[in-house]
Amino acid sequence: MPTVAFFATCIVDNIMPEIGVAAVRLLRAAGYEVVFPSGQTCCGQPFYNSGLREQSLPLAQRTVEIFEPYDAVVLPSGSCTAMLRVEYPHLFADTPDWLARARALAAKTFELTEFLVHQAHWTPPRWNGAPSITYHDSCHMYRMLGLHDEPRRLLRAAGYTIVEMEESHFCCGFGGLFSVRMANISNAITRDKLRQALETSAPLLVSADPGCIMQMRGMLKDTDLRVEHVAVMLAQALHEGQGEDMRREA
Amino acid sequence: MLESRLTLAEFKRRAEQALNDPRLQQALAGATRHFREGRERAWAELPDVDALRDQLKEIRAATIARLAEHLETFERNATAAGAHVHWARDGEEANRIIVDIAQRHQVRLLVKSKSMTGEEIRVNPALEAAGIIPVETDLGEWIVQLAGESPSHIIAPAIHKTRQQVAELLSRATGRSLPVDDIPALTAVAREFLRDKFLRADMGLTGVNVAVAETGSIVLVTNEGNGRMVTSAPPVHVAIMGVEKIVPTWNEAAVWLQLLARSATGQPLSVYTTVITGPARREDADGPQELHIIILDHNRTQALGTPFEEVLQCIRCGSCLNVCPVYREVGGNAYGSPYSGPIGIVVTPLIFGLEAYPALPHACTLCGACKEVCPARIDLPRMILEWRHEESRRGLLPRSDLWSERWAAWLLAHPRLWRALTRILRWVQAPFKRDGQVRLPPPFQITGERDLPSLASRSFREMWDAGDVDADGGDAHGRT
Amino acid sequence: MAAREDILRRLRAHLRTASLPAPWQSRRHFPHLVERFCQALEEVGGEALVVQGEDAARERLHDLLGDLAAHRVVMNNEPPLNQWNLPQRWPEYHWFVVGQSDGDVRTFAASADVGISAALAALAETGTVVLGSGPGRSRLATLLPPVHIAIVPASIITVDMFTWVSQRPQPMPAALTFVTGPSKTADIEQTLITGVHGPRRIIAILIT
Repeated sequence: MPTVAFFATCIVDNIMPEIGVAAVRLLRAAGYEVVFPSGQTCCGQPFYNSGLREQSLPLAQRTVEIFEPYDAVVLPSGSCTAMLRVEYPHLFADTPDWLARARALAAKTFELTEFLVHQAHWTPPRWNGAPSITYHDSCHMYRMLGLHDEPRRLLRAAGYTIVEMEESHFCCGFGGLFSVRMANISNAITRDKLRQALETSAPLLVSADPGCIMQMRGMLKDTDLRVEHVAVMLAQALHEGQGEDMRREA
Repeated sequence: MLESRLTLAEFKRRAEQALNDPRLQQALAGATRHFREGRERAWAELPDVDALRDQLKEIRAATIARLAEHLETFERNATAAGAHVHWARDGEEANRIIVDIAQRHQVRLLVKSKSMTGEEIRVNPALEAAGIIPVETDLGEWIVQLAGESPSHIIAPAIHKTRQQVAELLSRATGRSLPVDDIPALTAVAREFLRDKFLRADMGLTGVNVAVAETGSIVLVTNEGNGRMVTSAPPVHVAIMGVEKIVPTWNEAAVWLQLLARSATGQPLSVYTTVITGPARREDADGPQELHIIILDHNRTQALGTPFEEVLQCIRCGSCLNVCPVYREVGGNAYGSPYSGPIGIVVTPLIFGLEAYPALPHACTLCGACKEVCPARIDLPRMILEWRHEESRRGLLPRSDLWSERWAAWLLAHPRLWRALTRILRWVQAPFKRDGQVRLPPPFQITGERDLPSLASRSFREMWDAGDVDADGGDAHGRT
Repeated sequence: MAAREDILRRLRAHLRTASLPAPWQSRRHFPHLVERFCQALEEVGGEALVVQGEDAARERLHDLLGDLAAHRVVMNNEPPLNQWNLPQRWPEYHWFVVGQSDGDVRTFAASADVGISAALAALAETGTVVLGSGPGRSRLATLLPPVHIAIVPASIITVDMFTWVSQRPQPMPAALTFVTGPSKTADIEQTLITGVHGPRRIIAILIT
C-alpha cells in the first residue's frame, strides 16, 4: 500500500484535531497508509509572514528534515502547503543545499483535496442526504496554488450542493498575525465575508484552510451558520451511513 | 497628508474611524465594486488580455533595466520639440524649479490637473508659500482640496464625500447657495467656476501618465477635459513625471494605454488622452508658449537593484486598490500617503522612508488579490513581505510583538516544551471557554470583537499516540 | 545640471541587457470599421451619423446646427471643412474660422455654441476621434463649446491604437488628443455626469 506522511499543521494539531482525524480517514479510504512523523510542529509561516525570517528558518529546516524521507506529504491546509511549495524556495534562496532539499520536498507536497483528486484519483461515495453548502476559497490555496476546482469536485461527488457566494475568493480577514495586529480591520473583513456567505442561505460554510475556519468561526456570533473544514465534510459524507458525527463538538 | 511617523496604533485609529463611518463604508463598497466589475468587463472584451498583460510586464521590466538610455532619448527629443527638460533629485529641488518658473512668469493663478507626484512633493504648499494660488481642476481633487483632506482613492479622490458635503464646499468656494441634492447642478457650477480659472490662469501644472522617448512626448489621461484645458489655455505648462513613467516608443505606449483605462475604470479609453510634444508651434492657433518637463527621482532610483525595483513597473491604474480587502474596509485616508492600497504600502516606504510609515507593510493580509489583477503582473505581496523583513532587520517592529513572536517561534522549534505549554494553556483557558470559543477579559481580548478558538482537550498528536485515529471505529471527536 | 548627472549616474550603475518584446500587433478583426466605430462611440455616450458623400455631410451638418439652435459657431480651418465655404453658405450663423477670423479664438470659443473640426484619424475599436493641433487647428475650439461636431471621412478610420501607431503623424503635432465620447465625471457619489470641463456632446459625421 502506498504511504503518505501527514503534516497536521499547528492549528489542526492544537485547536481542530477533528480535521486531522477526518483527513487521515479520507487518505485511508483512498487507499493510502498514513504516517504521522512525530517531530512535526509548525511550518514557520506566521513568523516568515511577519518578517521574522531568522525565526522561521529553524522551523522550516526542521520541517524539511522531518518530511523529506517520505514519498508524499499531505496537509489539510492550503496556506501551509503554499508555504512549503512556494515560499520555502524563497526562504532558502541563499543556501543551495537547503534550496535543493526544499525543492525536492516541494515536488512531493500536496494539499489534501489536491492529493485526493490528482494523486489518489479518488472519488468519494455519494451521500444522498448531503445538505447545501457554500465554499470559501482561501487566498493561498486559490492564488498561490491555483486550486479551486478540487475541493468542489470532491464535495459535489459526495453529494453536497454548492451555492456560490458573490466573491468566494474574497479574503476571510485572517492574514495570520494581521488578525491580531489589526484586529479591527480583520474583523470587518470577516464580517463582509460572512455576510456574503449568509446571503447564499446555505447552512454550512466550507473551507480547506484551518486558519480561515478559525477566523470565520470567531465572528459567527448568533448566526446559525456553521463553518467546517472540507475534510470533515467529506468524512461526514463517507460515514453518513454509519451514523457517525464527524463534526466538531462544542 | 504626509506623515512624520505613521505608527501601527495611528493606522488602527484611522482605520477605526473609517470602519465607523457608514457613509464611507457604503461609498467604498460601491466604488470598488464598480471599478472591479468595470475592469473585469473591459478585460474580457479584449481579444487576448493575458498575452497583453505579459507584453506590458516585459515592456516595463525591459524599460526599467535601461532607464538612463530612454530618459536621455526622451530629453533629446522633447528638447528638439521645444520643451525645457529639468531634473530633480527630490521634492525640494522640484518645487524650487516650479516656483522659479512661476516667478519668472509672474504667475499668480495656477491651475492643476491631477498629479500624484505633485502631491508627493507637496507642491501646493510650496506654491502658496511663494504667493501663488494653485487650483485643483479634477473635480474630485478640487472637492478634496476645498475640504483640506487627502484623496481617498487614486482614481476617484472624493468617494468619501456626500453630495451634501460637496454642495456645502462648493457653496463656500463660489460664494453662492447651492442646492444640496442636485448633482448635475453642482457639476455645472463647478464647470463654470473652474472654467473661469482655466481661462485666467497664468500657468498650468500637470502630472504625466506616460512619457514616450521616441518623440519626446508626454501623455495625460482624463475624463473631464481638465487635462486638455490646463495644457492648452495658460501660456506656460509645467509637467512633473517620475523617472519610471516612460516607454521607449509608441509601440509600447499603445500597450500601456490599451490597458490603463480598462484597468482603472473599465473604460476602453479615457475620454481624453492628450499627447503633448513640445509647446505650441509658431503656426498653431493656440496652446502654451512654454513647456517645462521635470523628471523627478525622489528615491525611485533607490529601488534599482533591490527587490523593490519591480514596483517601478506600476502604471498607476488603481486596480489593486479595488480588490484589496484592507483598502475596501478603510479607504485611502488611513494610509496617510498619496499612494494607498497595495501599491501604496510598497511605494510609500520607498519614497518617504520605512521609518516614517512602519504601519503600512502590515496593512495587508497577503491575500494576493492585488498581484492577480495587476495589469503589469507586479508581485506586490513579495515586496510587502520584503518590507516586513526589512522592518525586522531595522528593528522597527513593536518590541512587544517581537518578543512574543520570538518566544513562540522558539517554543515551536522545541516540541516537548511546546506540548508542555499547550497543556498549561488548556488549563488556563478553562474558565473562559464557551461553545468551543474563548472570550478573555478586556485587556487580554486582543482580537476585539472576534472570539478566539479554544485549545482542544486533546491534540491530534495525543490522539494519534493513543491509537485513537483509525479508519474504522475510534474517537472522531477532537474534544471530550 | 548636478541633479541630472546624479540621477543618470545612479541609473547607469544599474544598466542591464534587456530587449523589448516585438511590437504588439492588433488582434482585432472588424468586418465593418464604420459600424464598429459608431457602435463604440454610442456606447460611451457619443453620437455618430453616417452619410454618403460630402454634400450629404454638409446637409447633415446644417440640420444639426439648426437642431442645436446654434448662433455662434467656431470652426477649424482644415480639410474638408476649408473647402466647404460654410460662412458664405450659411451666413445666418456667427462664424469664427480659426486662423482666418479676427480676434482671439479663445474668447469666441468660450461663448460659442458649437465647435466644428475634422480629424487626423479615428479608432474603430473605441469610437475615438483623433484631433491634432496645427495651423488652422485650435485646441480650444473643440474643447470650450458645449457641442463638438467632428467630420470624419471613413478613409481615416483605423482599427485601434495599435494600427494607428504605424500610421501616426511624423512629426507629432504639439497637441494630439484621442477623444472618446463626451466629457464626463463620476466624482460626486459615483453619479455619472456629462459635460464637465469639455463638451457634453460629441457628434461624429462619418462620410462614406
